[in-house]
Amino acid sequence: MEEFFQQLTNGLAVGGIYALIALGYTMVYGVLKLINFAHGDLFTIGSYLGLTLLTSLALTDRLGPAAGIAVLALMVMGLVALVGALLERMAYRPLRQSPRLSAVVSALGASIFFSNTVMLIYGARFQVYPQGILPKTAIELFGLYIPLVRVLILGSSVVMMVALYTFIQRTKIGTAIRAAAIDQDAARLMGIDVNRVILLVFLIGPALGGAAGLMVGLHYGQINFTMGWVYGLKAFTAAILGGIGNIPGAMVGGLLLGVIEALGAAYLSVAWKDAIAFGVLIFILIVRPTGLLGERVAEKV
Amino acid sequence: MKKGLVVLAAMCLLFLSGFVSAQADTIKIGLMGPMTGPWASEGQEMKQVLDLLAADLNAKGGVLGKKVEVIADDDGGDPRTAALAAQRLATQGIVAVIGTYGSSVTEATQNIYDESKIIQIANGSTAIRLTEKGLKYFFRTCPRDDEQGRVAVQTMAKLGFKNVAILHDNTTYAKGLADEAKGLLESQGTKIVFFDALTPGERDYTAILTKLKGANPDVVFFTGYYPEAGLLLRQKKEMNWNVPFIGGDATNNPDLVKIAGKDAAQGFYFLSAPLPKDLPSPEAKSFLDEFKKKYGSTPNSIYAVLAGDGFRVITAAMQATQSTDVDKLAAYLHTKLKDFAGLTGKISFDEKGDRVGEVYRVYKVDAEGNFILQP
Repeated sequence: MEEFFQQLTNGLAVGGIYALIALGYTMVYGVLKLINFAHGDLFTIGSYLGLTLLTSLALTDRLGPAAGIAVLALMVMGLVALVGALLERMAYRPLRQSPRLSAVVSALGASIFFSNTVMLIYGARFQVYPQGILPKTAIELFGLYIPLVRVLILGSSVVMMVALYTFIQRTKIGTAIRAAAIDQDAARLMGIDVNRVILLVFLIGPALGGAAGLMVGLHYGQINFTMGWVYGLKAFTAAILGGIGNIPGAMVGGLLLGVIEALGAAYLSVAWKDAIAFGVLIFILIVRPTGLLGERVAEKV
Repeated sequence: MKKGLVVLAAMCLLFLSGFVSAQADTIKIGLMGPMTGPWASEGQEMKQVLDLLAADLNAKGGVLGKKVEVIADDDGGDPRTAALAAQRLATQGIVAVIGTYGSSVTEATQNIYDESKIIQIANGSTAIRLTEKGLKYFFRTCPRDDEQGRVAVQTMAKLGFKNVAILHDNTTYAKGLADEAKGLLESQGTKIVFFDALTPGERDYTAILTKLKGANPDVVFFTGYYPEAGLLLRQKKEMNWNVPFIGGDATNNPDLVKIAGKDAAQGFYFLSAPLPKDLPSPEAKSFLDEFKKKYGSTPNSIYAVLAGDGFRVITAAMQATQSTDVDKLAAYLHTKLKDFAGLTGKISFDEKGDRVGEVYRVYKVDAEGNFILQP
């Protein structure tokens, strides 16, 4: 039983990161019906920028760990949001009236471009975050051993997700985003600046992806330029599992995927961990094609 | 328009003639290595070593009166990319190819080189079956996994471990070594309490570590590569679990300590061919000095140095046979080359193309993160 709960917490910590990245996929898909394959690489850029800023500005030495990391996170999120906006402007906006396949190809191209740029700038070797920035204390509870960092990561992921959800549901801009997601042309007729809505989506999604990248760097230490691929694939899976286009769905999908993986590794086979996770995805898509929280949308004729 | 065409034709001719003459007065040796991908640091160092050795050789007049040209291609540490790289290299008139690191990657290219009649000298491919296929032109300067498995089992017995967990990553190399060790341990009556594989390239291995901990082993033998080994050590420490880890030779890389952190890496054992810094021969010493002079530090990886040995062996064979005929070269390497003074020690090959003699040592990581040769 102890091992079960330990695996559950392991899964939730990983799932929190998947969920945070999945939000970026889901938001872009919700508004543009486009799978932004470059999103995983924005995540990678986030963790590399985090490392550069961390070592060059020595924020944690000047401001102390807590404030230092908060400032660092804001800077990384801002910069990655900027990259996301540029991506939208250069790679997607010119193709918005083209067939959807063109945008998908453009997304794949952007992904390769980003990962190679990171490799050329930082080199192909693993980069390593300095150790000992985050406190190494851990909570010991009923035989469970939970490093505090994991609680912080999961906590801040959930806070960001809830904040985003509230923003989308409760504010005027959020309403505009939802309106553009339903029908861009109708939204434009209602006086919504759809271009600005899309730009905003490409600021928020990448910012969250960048934050996830920073978290991975700070917690696991080791980063390399190809890591966006695996995380991107998992987050994409999480978004589909929860129902792509649906924000709470991305959260649920991410956390669930993390837990399925951990429990699959624990009780079936470690080597089949990914196969189990993707197997569950396929199963859900068969019995519920819209994903767990996705709604069946009536096609307009 | 017409003028343009003439200029274009002239340029083509010039280009072609340059190409033809280049082909005529250099001997081309291929290098296939992981220049990108998870093992990129290995591949890039392999290239540094070969560039240095080729420059040295050319300064001394080259081989058979011709300059040696190293043509590098990237296998990305991935079998599919490697097959493409091998096909590209095979069309460029190379006599021999050095590389690559990683057994599954090498395996994907063996037949391509064999069919193209190109000698392949692998440097980091230790899986047993690579030389059991009877390929005439395949050699390797690194030792085989059955020997590594033997040393691993001896080490674990010497340290008194009774319950052993074995973790691999399903690559040809790691699975082969894991199977080899498992068979040997079981025949000695040692209990295997865990045997499974992880997925390389992930960040979080706590699920696997939690399961491993549940199996309660005395020692964990991890046969995969250093990026995962580093993360395993780090996360094991974070879980507050103090079980000793032993790694195979693919964990031999200073980046392991960087990834794990010194405190988590301390006490980690691994098996390896001797590190570049522990190489005893005078050839190695002068090579290391030169390498340091050119690139600022000594090579990190023994596999890069083993690639250098592949280069030295093949050029020596060309010199000795006064030929670039692959059949003559292969015959020479199989039978005539005895106790060649390689950078990593004496080199001879058996009829399968395997290196003869014992190479593996046991290392332990100390508190400062240094790799200390165990007596």
